[in-house]
Amino acid sequence: MSDSDESGGESDFYALPGDLMMWILIISELLVFGAGLLAFMAMRVTDPAGFTAAQGHLNATAAGINTVVLVTSGWLAALALKASEAGQVARVRLLLAAAASLGMLFLWIKGMEYAGKAAEGINFETHTFFTFYFLLTGFHALHVLAGIVILALVGWKASPRNLEVGTAFWHMVDLVWVLLFPIIYLLR
Amino acid sequence: MKYPTQKIALMYFAVALGLFAVQVSMGLLIGWIYVSPNFLSEVLPFNIGRMLHTNSLVVWLLLGFFGAAYYLIPEESERDIHSPFLAYLQLGILVLGTLGVVVTYLFSLFKGSLLFGFSGREFIEQPIWVKIGIAVAAVIFLYNISMTVLKGRKTAITNILLLGLWLMVLLFLFAFYNPANLALDKQYWWFVIHLWVEATWELVMASILAFLVLKLTGVDREVIEKWLYIIVALALFSGILGTGHHYYWIGMPPYWQWIGNIFSSLEVAPLFAMMAFTFVMVWKGRRDHPNKAALLWSLGCSVVAFFGAGVWGFLHTLHGINYYTHGTQITAAHGHLAFYGAYVMLNLAMFSYAMPILRNRDPYNQVLNMGAFWLMTAGMAFMTFTLTFAGTIQTHMQRVEGVDYMSVQDQLWIFYVMRFGSGVAVVIGAYILIYALAFPRREVVKAGPVQSHKSAETPAE
Amino acid sequence: MTATQGWLVLVALSVGSTLLAWSGSTGAVAAVAILALAWVKAQIVLNVYLGLSQVPAWSRGFAFVLGLFMLGAMGLAVAAGAV
Repeated sequence: MSDSDESGGESDFYALPGDLMMWILIISELLVFGAGLLAFMAMRVTDPAGFTAAQGHLNATAAGINTVVLVTSGWLAALALKASEAGQVARVRLLLAAAASLGMLFLWIKGMEYAGKAAEGINFETHTFFTFYFLLTGFHALHVLAGIVILALVGWKASPRNLEVGTAFWHMVDLVWVLLFPIIYLLR
Repeated sequence: MKYPTQKIALMYFAVALGLFAVQVSMGLLIGWIYVSPNFLSEVLPFNIGRMLHTNSLVVWLLLGFFGAAYYLIPEESERDIHSPFLAYLQLGILVLGTLGVVVTYLFSLFKGSLLFGFSGREFIEQPIWVKIGIAVAAVIFLYNISMTVLKGRKTAITNILLLGLWLMVLLFLFAFYNPANLALDKQYWWFVIHLWVEATWELVMASILAFLVLKLTGVDREVIEKWLYIIVALALFSGILGTGHHYYWIGMPPYWQWIGNIFSSLEVAPLFAMMAFTFVMVWKGRRDHPNKAALLWSLGCSVVAFFGAGVWGFLHTLHGINYYTHGTQITAAHGHLAFYGAYVMLNLAMFSYAMPILRNRDPYNQVLNMGAFWLMTAGMAFMTFTLTFAGTIQTHMQRVEGVDYMSVQDQLWIFYVMRFGSGVAVVIGAYILIYALAFPRREVVKAGPVQSHKSAETPAE
Repeated sequence: MTATQGWLVLVALSVGSTLLAWSGSTGAVAAVAILALAWVKAQIVLNVYLGLSQVPAWSRGFAFVLGLFMLGAMGLAVAAGAV
């Protein structure tokens, strides 16, 4: 995937695209979600039948659509970064607006999903599965919300550097979802 | 010393060292009560002794932080403290409050009085009038240092220090909120001391360590600032929600168990980063500072903090484990090594560095100081091990086998004897250290050619 | 790989894993297959969207930790099927 020279040593430490602090945040977030997902998988070993039964209440198709929505949004954000490097500010803003709109669509679908659970009387304490389901997807949804705000901010101050930092956060949200979606919704 | 108002720090350090002596002496006394439970049971009951032990610890650490702020902020901001009068007024209020607390506790005065009597919430037992005094002193402090920083040069070290201290004071306000619902009471109770040590004090610790490392090793400020920001980001990210590990068994919703598990496990990360930071900086250092004792305390602080707060904290942070170990001697082992490593050693590092400069002389008594370091640290390590073994046995007998509490305590007696022995070592070490810092004469060992050459060439800064 | 190519692959893989789950196939093999698709997707997000392919050392580091995570998840998925 890459044709750049490999350079070892300390220079690589500062070579990460964007801001080092954003990467510290991204790594921390990935560790948290990673630990949460592994804890979920471990708890699932103790009660596979109960987890499968609980998972039957989820709508995998809606979540699948949400996956496509989010990776498409990530793609638009990546295009926005390219456009900003080319200095096309209007195009940057258009692409970011589209990316953020898809983020809102994601949240709307997610909201419908939560409303459905509430209507069924399902909450945090219904089953261990739902404790993790609400915790992990809820934390993730909060990050989507934060990401939309960040995209709006970097769209306002649309320098290439800001875009690199802001879109990195958005891609992290994407990355978490592509791991969370199959583990929570699909495995049975 | 470049700025006259840095001298304020000396008074703070002096009071802190006095309270330090009180704290460790009281610790020894209540350690003996574990060995011989009826000792002084009428005159000074265990709960009062313990209140004095923990309260004086927190107060002297705070006085140390305040002193450290008054010392390092002028140097970083390149200007004198806004108002020396307010700084001394703040100290006066805190000393008055401390004396009030000690007298109220010792003689059990004003029992039941909301304003004057002590209240029952662990660590924040102080009567309301003292709490108000602390809050007023804290506001004076924030005003004073914020004005100084705002008017002067802004550095990462002062920014982080101010952030930590501001958040600390805001969190203290929860000490005034005491809802009748016990679960709610506990929920907010954990905001005060525990969110300090797991979040805001870590910011203070990181910035003071960064200042010490900057002075002692001469590494570029830019490099130190980068590390500082990383450590602070990790500390805040993990520490705030990591407090969820206190919410396992107090009536909070069960999802706190998973939030607490995951985030508190990550709390090891900033502590590890701090340890890596001090060692890498010393390795890269360009200055051979004559104050070896301060360097030893700085390195020791980051290492013992990593083990005491990080490793010993992680030992019992997962809720599946904590279900059994909660409130046993495992907690005591962690509490002792974590407080000693993270915050006691941090303050002693700052005292060892700053006091010779404040008194305008070479760092005397370094050999004695370093001897005290090893005596105290070894004593604390031994205490941690004995309490960890005691806690393991206690957990098994009491929580797994279901033996009743007092029978188990009888079985732990031998560990309490050994803990008392290690406590004696710590207290002797503390007295030696106080002597070494407060009563300078001359170095007890004649400096070798390398050290004396360096001392002559690099004046203390 | 450009962002657009990465996006197309991601969409295809997402549809693929949803179909796999839809087909009603269960058990260890299906679980490992679904997780393998997620592994590839995560690598694409890291290297293409997040641009780690420009920093090979970091790309390798992330790939290593992600690999440990995925293997752990696969092991636990198989274990859940075996209980």
